[in-house]
Amino acid sequence: MAQAAVRMDEPDLIRAAQRGDQRAFEQLVRIYDQNVLRIALNLLRSPEDAHDIYQEAFLRVYKNLHTFRFDCSFHTWLYRIVTNLCLDALRKRRVRREENTVVETSEGTLDRMDTVEEQRADGNPQRQLMSHQLKKRIQETLASLTPRERTVFEMRHYQGLRLRAIGDMLGTSEEAAKNCLFRATQKMRAALGDFV
Amino acid sequence: MKCDEVQATLPLFLYGELSFEEEERLEVHIDECDACRDALAREKTLFQSFDAAELKPSQDLLAECRASLHQSLMHLEPARSSLWNRLREGFTIHFHFTPAFAQPVGAVAMLFAGFFLARMVPSSFLDFHGMNSAGLVEPSASRVRYVEPVGSGKVQIVVDETRQRVLSGSLEDESIKRMLLTAMKDPSDAGLRVESVDLLKSQPQNAEVREALLSALQHDPNAGVRLKALDGLKQFAGDEETRKTLTQVLLKDDNPGVRTQVIDLLIQHHSDSMVGVLQEVMGKEDNGYIRMRCQKALRDMNASVETY
Repeated sequence: MAQAAVRMDEPDLIRAAQRGDQRAFEQLVRIYDQNVLRIALNLLRSPEDAHDIYQEAFLRVYKNLHTFRFDCSFHTWLYRIVTNLCLDALRKRRVRREENTVVETSEGTLDRMDTVEEQRADGNPQRQLMSHQLKKRIQETLASLTPRERTVFEMRHYQGLRLRAIGDMLGTSEEAAKNCLFRATQKMRAALGDFV
Repeated sequence: MKCDEVQATLPLFLYGELSFEEEERLEVHIDECDACRDALAREKTLFQSFDAAELKPSQDLLAECRASLHQSLMHLEPARSSLWNRLREGFTIHFHFTPAFAQPVGAVAMLFAGFFLARMVPSSFLDFHGMNSAGLVEPSASRVRYVEPVGSGKVQIVVDETRQRVLSGSLEDESIKRMLLTAMKDPSDAGLRVESVDLLKSQPQNAEVREALLSALQHDPNAGVRLKALDGLKQFAGDEETRKTLTQVLLKDDNPGVRTQVIDLLIQHHSDSMVGVLQEVMGKEDNGYIRMRCQKALRDMNASVETY
């Protein structure tokens, strides 16, 4: 049957996936998966962990999609799953040693973060050095934030979500999310003040 | 408002998370206080440095994640069986004993049933499903199923025809570009449109691509696609034709996320012709952030916030 004649927008895709249509589910995944991966990568700063969160999040969605009742937007529901998984991973990481991104391999030293794209500084060596130091300091500061502070900062600064939506996702109030963001930015400012 | 209080609140101000009154008080203070103005400038620089530290997943990592998920899904039973399977199960009669002669009789009965049912089905039903009266699928029934970048600036496209084949090539390749332009108009697959626009938006200098992005921004029913198209048009925020489209979108789009991005782009370039538009927005807009941005832009242009 020529499916092209049938309109399949997001709600239709969700309903089709709820009926067990795997192809519809994969189409749904592709609307959001770049953002999901970006959130996980920025929160966990590890491509392997981001990969695991991606898998776990979408498998949970797949298994629980039949419980989705359209009483909130799908992306709120999905991001709630993703942020909770990331929060759990960050909390677990607090009780074990923070992983270094640099690993020794048989072919020499390898930085696992090389598998991610970053904004490159221009050709000026001094600026490159400054930019490298700044990124390092930002990473260190982000790692020192509490999981909640880090999540709220990520969702507000990099994902551009409003605090009300972030509060909904984390099961807290807008005011609590605002306080988290406030604390996170204060810590970032204190740590990075001498760079600006 | 004291300086300490103002400077502590600057991040929330830059995120647009202060109430209208708080923001008003803060702006009044900053207008009169050099120290806080400097602090605001430093805060903006700090924000820009955060942007530089954002990580973007590589296309290889994304492709790897998708492949793993696809594999995992292949081994999973769907959470619920399909409606068709449930219906079929409900209407199936299981014969435990069937005489041998019954099989040809059943086959003939089904042939007759098919003949009479086909005569009862209106021809418009067949047309809707892309079939002509002879029951043949039209040759144009093929469609692009997936598009995805595969690293090194190449793109991979999967097309549904009578058989599936994979096309790959660079974005500069005319046939690849044409496929992506077709895919970004596929009404049946919002995910495909999002990704096609995402790939094409790296080439907005191409007139055809730019026109397609403008069209997607105005007409695509999915807000995700419209936001991607908007992203591709950012560098043309000063261009007259783009601004005209942005203005129409600002006044008509029903998604506040899209309108928020549009207002941010439009007010980057001050122009007197914007005054009327911004005043019109103030008259009908109910989103607090957009109203605040309009109000500020109008104030910067020394225009009144309302029409009298």
